[in-house]
Amino acid sequence: MTLSYSFRIALQSILHEKWINLLSILTVAAGLLFTAITVLSIYNIDAATKSLPEKFSVMLYLDDNISQREKDNIMGTVRNDAAVEKVKFIPKDEALKELKTSLKDAGHILDGLGENPLPDSVEIKFRSERIDPEIVKKLTVRLGGLKGVHEIEYGEKFLSSLYSIMRGVKTVGALFIMLMSAGMLFVCYSTVKILFYRKEKEIETYKLLGATRGFIRSPFIIEGAVIGLSGGFLGLFGIMTLYYLVVLRLSLAFPIFKSIIFPVDTLYSLPLAGLFLGVTGAAIAIGRIRY
Amino acid sequence: MIHFQEVSKHYETYTALRKVSFSVEKGEMVYITGPSGSGKTTLLKLIYLAEKPDEGNITVNEWETDKLKESQISMFRRHIGVVFQDFRLLDNKNIFENVALALRIRGVDEREMKSRVFESLKIANLRHKADCYPQTLSGGEQQRVAIARAIVSEPMIVLADEPTGNVDPETSEGIMKTFKDINARGSTILIATHNRELFRHSGRRVFKLDLGNFVGEEIG
Repeated sequence: MTLSYSFRIALQSILHEKWINLLSILTVAAGLLFTAITVLSIYNIDAATKSLPEKFSVMLYLDDNISQREKDNIMGTVRNDAAVEKVKFIPKDEALKELKTSLKDAGHILDGLGENPLPDSVEIKFRSERIDPEIVKKLTVRLGGLKGVHEIEYGEKFLSSLYSIMRGVKTVGALFIMLMSAGMLFVCYSTVKILFYRKEKEIETYKLLGATRGFIRSPFIIEGAVIGLSGGFLGLFGIMTLYYLVVLRLSLAFPIFKSIIFPVDTLYSLPLAGLFLGVTGAAIAIGRIRY
Repeated sequence: MIHFQEVSKHYETYTALRKVSFSVEKGEMVYITGPSGSGKTTLLKLIYLAEKPDEGNITVNEWETDKLKESQISMFRRHIGVVFQDFRLLDNKNIFENVALALRIRGVDEREMKSRVFESLKIANLRHKADCYPQTLSGGEQQRVAIARAIVSEPMIVLADEPTGNVDPETSEGIMKTFKDINARGSTILIATHNRELFRHSGRRVFKLDLGNFVGEEIG
């Protein structure tokens, strides 16, 4: 009964102090919307880089006329590395055939070649979780020192730039989210604190009549929860509107927008984040007040 | 039931109570009188722990009030019904809710609460005003709401600070009859008043205060 009464008091207070509460809800909603945009951006960039392992490979070009033993040594070294998922030896004849296939109609330009100029090669594919510029570089340095390896080729600069961009985006994103969360927490904290001080006289009466701290505090915690949860749902409405109205419409004109994914987790995580911020802000606010 | 032993209370610029000692037995109805500023309100505040004494000991129903922890104070206060001098009614709640608050705090269920609130309002002759808000009532009616709230939980002790300060003699008589009825049911009652008419011929003990000193006791 006490809890239902606390809910009633909280809802009455929300309606009574509607403007300050509405302002807080809108602020939390805006904060969560920007946070969701940031998370969505990071999520999509991350998803895009996760498809990289299928395309990324390191090519080892071997010296001409190396012995079978040297070949086996190279293949063994590669296979034994924990980061390697697949190794494929490509004989020079097969490489030429592939080149001719890829040139299609222009394949005749290779007809004039007397001897096959292409070397034997080894294609290395990495485990997705091990594609890291440092790991790849370490292996290539080790392989470069093996007898029979003529040249190693992979998009070193591309890989390290991509990963540093990813790291940068994630760091900036995390900082932004932390900053926004702190801001939203402060909004909930301040709102509940203001509401508390506005009811100081009423609370004093509650105390003198024998109300426990829980009885006095619970409506404020509920109020914080309602502010946060409403902000969360409003933020969710905002991000869904943005996605369905803007992104999907843009994708009709610009196909690149088609690849933007809207994670289903957002549907519950945004209201939950709002709820958490609201309750925490309220708990800090009334926890710091002596009464 | 209530024991004061050498209790003093000092404020920055004056001393509200100076080494006051007295005892009130269970089921008694006692008046505290004295001119304005004599320490009547402070004495009551010390009982319901709105203030803490600077010296001396207060025992209420075997609780040594200075030894109560913060978490125990709310439970302690539930045994006391207080009629505040300024009523302390909540303007945003109607009369029913103002009175019911004392029971909601105690976790009384809705059905029992309704019957007790209406019974209490009936005693205070305010049953017909249950849906009104405090600001629409006269001073005397507000005072009676405060009394209804103080008695609704049937507390062991009722403290009333100038309970007839804003009412006409007829209403005042009604209020005092209410207190006598509650006292007859077993509650211990302390009434602070400067109106000597209230306790004249009452046959009850009257504590006299002056400038914070306990100056004597008489039978009204």
